[in-house]
Amino acid sequence: MNLLRKSAVREFLRILIAVSAALILGFVITLLVSKQPVEAYRAFLLGPLSRFNRFGDWIEESITLTLVGLAVALVFKSKQFSLGAEGQILLGALVSGSIALFVPLPGYVRVPLGLLAAMVVGFLWGYLPGYLKAHLNANEIVSTLMLNTIALKIYDYFLIFHIKPPNAGYNASETFTKDGILPSFVPALPFLADLRARFMSQTNITVMLYLAVIAFLVAYYLMYRTPFGYELRMIGANIKFAHYGGINVKRTIVLAFAVSGVFAGLAGAHLAMGIHTKLIQNISLGIGFEGIVVALMARNNPLFVPLSALAYGYLRAGADIMERSSDVSREMVLVIQALIILLVTAERVLPVIQQRVAARRNAQPTPSLAEGGE
Amino acid sequence: MAALVEMDQIVKIYPNGVVANDGVTFSVERGEIHALVGENGAGKTTLMKILYGEERPTAGVIRINGKPVHFHSPQDAIRAGIGMVHQNFMQVPSLTVAENVVLGKEPTRRGLLDRKAAIQITEDLSRQYGLKVDPEATIDSVNVGMRQRVEILKILYRGAEILILDEPTAVLTPQETTELFKSIRTLVKQGKTVIFITHKLREVKEISDRVTVMRGGRVMGTLPTREATRESLARMMVGRDVFLEVSKPPRERGSKVLEVRDLTYVSETGRYILRGLSFNVYAGEILGVAGVEGNGQTELVEVLTGLRPATGGEARVMGVPILNCPPRAVRLAGVAHIPEDRLTNGLALEATINENLIVDRYFRPPFRRGMFIDNQVVREHGKGLIETFDIRTPSGELAVASLSGGNMQKVILAREFSSRPQLLIAAQPTRGVDVGATEFIRQQLVEQRNRGTAVLLVSADLAEVMSLSDRLIVMYEGQITGVFPEASQATEEEIGYYMLGVKRQSPEEMEAYL
Repeated sequence: MNLLRKSAVREFLRILIAVSAALILGFVITLLVSKQPVEAYRAFLLGPLSRFNRFGDWIEESITLTLVGLAVALVFKSKQFSLGAEGQILLGALVSGSIALFVPLPGYVRVPLGLLAAMVVGFLWGYLPGYLKAHLNANEIVSTLMLNTIALKIYDYFLIFHIKPPNAGYNASETFTKDGILPSFVPALPFLADLRARFMSQTNITVMLYLAVIAFLVAYYLMYRTPFGYELRMIGANIKFAHYGGINVKRTIVLAFAVSGVFAGLAGAHLAMGIHTKLIQNISLGIGFEGIVVALMARNNPLFVPLSALAYGYLRAGADIMERSSDVSREMVLVIQALIILLVTAERVLPVIQQRVAARRNAQPTPSLAEGGE
Repeated sequence: MAALVEMDQIVKIYPNGVVANDGVTFSVERGEIHALVGENGAGKTTLMKILYGEERPTAGVIRINGKPVHFHSPQDAIRAGIGMVHQNFMQVPSLTVAENVVLGKEPTRRGLLDRKAAIQITEDLSRQYGLKVDPEATIDSVNVGMRQRVEILKILYRGAEILILDEPTAVLTPQETTELFKSIRTLVKQGKTVIFITHKLREVKEISDRVTVMRGGRVMGTLPTREATRESLARMMVGRDVFLEVSKPPRERGSKVLEVRDLTYVSETGRYILRGLSFNVYAGEILGVAGVEGNGQTELVEVLTGLRPATGGEARVMGVPILNCPPRAVRLAGVAHIPEDRLTNGLALEATINENLIVDRYFRPPFRRGMFIDNQVVREHGKGLIETFDIRTPSGELAVASLSGGNMQKVILAREFSSRPQLLIAAQPTRGVDVGATEFIRQQLVEQRNRGTAVLLVSADLAEVMSLSDRLIVMYEGQITGVFPEASQATEEEIGYYMLGVKRQSPEEMEAYL
């Protein structure tokens, strides 16, 4: 127990140190390119908290990032490098959006149905590359990237030719009716009415907040408390050992891809039924790949994914605000953002520091071997 | 007169803080065969690498003929007349023996390699020192014994006076070992000096004049070999009494546990690896499989444990067919497996010790309760096995990678033995394991047998298979060439002939004993 806590503290410290280093470096760059570096950097650091709607944007994005981060962490833990979250998100958005638009059921049925359908389609779109990898040894990086493209084209096709109203000026569906939208996270109770109205007017924080917490718990327990999670982790640690020990390696790999897809599909439903409340082109904007950063920052441990998502979501939101409200060009903002990602995902940031400390400690009297004769 | 080689107070500390040599003083006289023995990690190889210029000592002095020397690279050592034969040969497989011997110091004619001269040089050296090689054969077509002789010729050609041989017999058959020892004696007769690293005490007694024992980075003592016994050397190496011979009560052969019929395996490249093997293993006996490595033993084990598909034949454990079943089904039929390549198959290094101990049972109660794994049970299970098998670790929650080699092996043993198997398949169980752990592993194998488990023991260490097994079969090129119903009554000499395929029993002769 003690050991576990220690490693959790270390992990937290690691993220903290990496983020601080990234922030300092970001400021140095801002100093070089901006005439008003302090103002620009303040926009970056405090922007997401400066207005209520910006705070809302940050939390909404963090919810999506948490779900995608969990999806990526699950499959990466088994050392299967599926990059298929993007496609699963798109198809999740497509099916949940279609249900929101076209299934004439009351909201308390339509919304859960949309979520469920998104999860099922994510499962299937993960099952496919999982099967190809496990049974035909198809490289999962290639297959998932190709499947992303296919998913994108399927999404565009249905959006443009079937969902978009014929007379619309741009490629988007109609806004969903209330029965197709995730309800606000503030319950509709009389004494909370004011708060609810305030959140609903300025943000799209929905019940997905609670679902993300549940998803986080499910992912954590799945990975560390169930036989499936054990199989997954052993395959990740040493696939030959897993096979030797009697684990059904192929089945577990297929499931790892598929279960990962469930979380990504849910993220897609959040984009459609929570944030945008309609289907638009480029609805995901590569957030499936941002999930990889979130998962790597959390070392593929679901326990740290929400924290990692909040931190990364904050940095992204801050960078956007800096771009809009200062003289720092978009290009430099992207450079700062990329540097941050680089530093935060560098596996060895903390270990290197620890080694230095350990080396200094060891440089003092060398321990000699305990036993021995002449 | 000063000794030929003197290493005085050598200290070697690696950058990671490991103290490999801790004030080692070691000397070699001209013209002697000096055995250097010790457990894995005792610092033998490090000491010799320092002498050969591959490692630089942190402190200490090396003197050759009384003069201090400083080697910065093996080239310096070679100039001073020191040559080393490593465990892994450094040769170019596609070149001929002669070309490999002269490589790096080639005789040339008009700027090109003079092949005739190279062959001449090789033949002369070969004759002078009694190291038989075929100068014109390519390296990849000759056997391990000859490749080793090529390696020795290489360093002789470079003018080595002092030859360091790092565990040279590990890869040889008994006949090849005898041959090598003959060559070593010839070398010494002609004025060379040999340092012989080994951990086989029998060889120390057979070949060396003096012996130095190392333990934990220090020298425990140097003494004339005739004053040493195997037991006293083992005690010096380990630091306590060691029982090299495991005593076995007479066998009580029980019912047939494993039945193998006409087992064949053809590799993906179409080579016949197993050619119709048939044998049984009975409860309460150890069946040893002897043979030079690469004659199908590895494949036999992998086929029987479900890691490799068989091409044909049958195998049953207590009547249950196990061939071409997934590893879990094989395990559920009562088979435990100590794998040959432990780090590849037997362990997940980055997973914890507790996790490694449950890979064959996590899906069953009490480990599995409903949908979940009961971590409390997993921890207690780990704690029990860590105690029983004396795995040295502060906690079962640590990664297996944090353990020493011997303790890693114990994690595997703990898991496989505690599964209470009907059939235990052990492949090279003591390879790379030091004397203390070897003793423990051998005792445990016999203990399993006494409890009525059928044990199939595959080992390249002939002395080991002979002393542990009740019955013994010899494999050569994927076939059984001989069976010895009383392993203890066979001689190494005799078994060696079957290992090399020189002798072969007829199917009728073997039938009754398989």
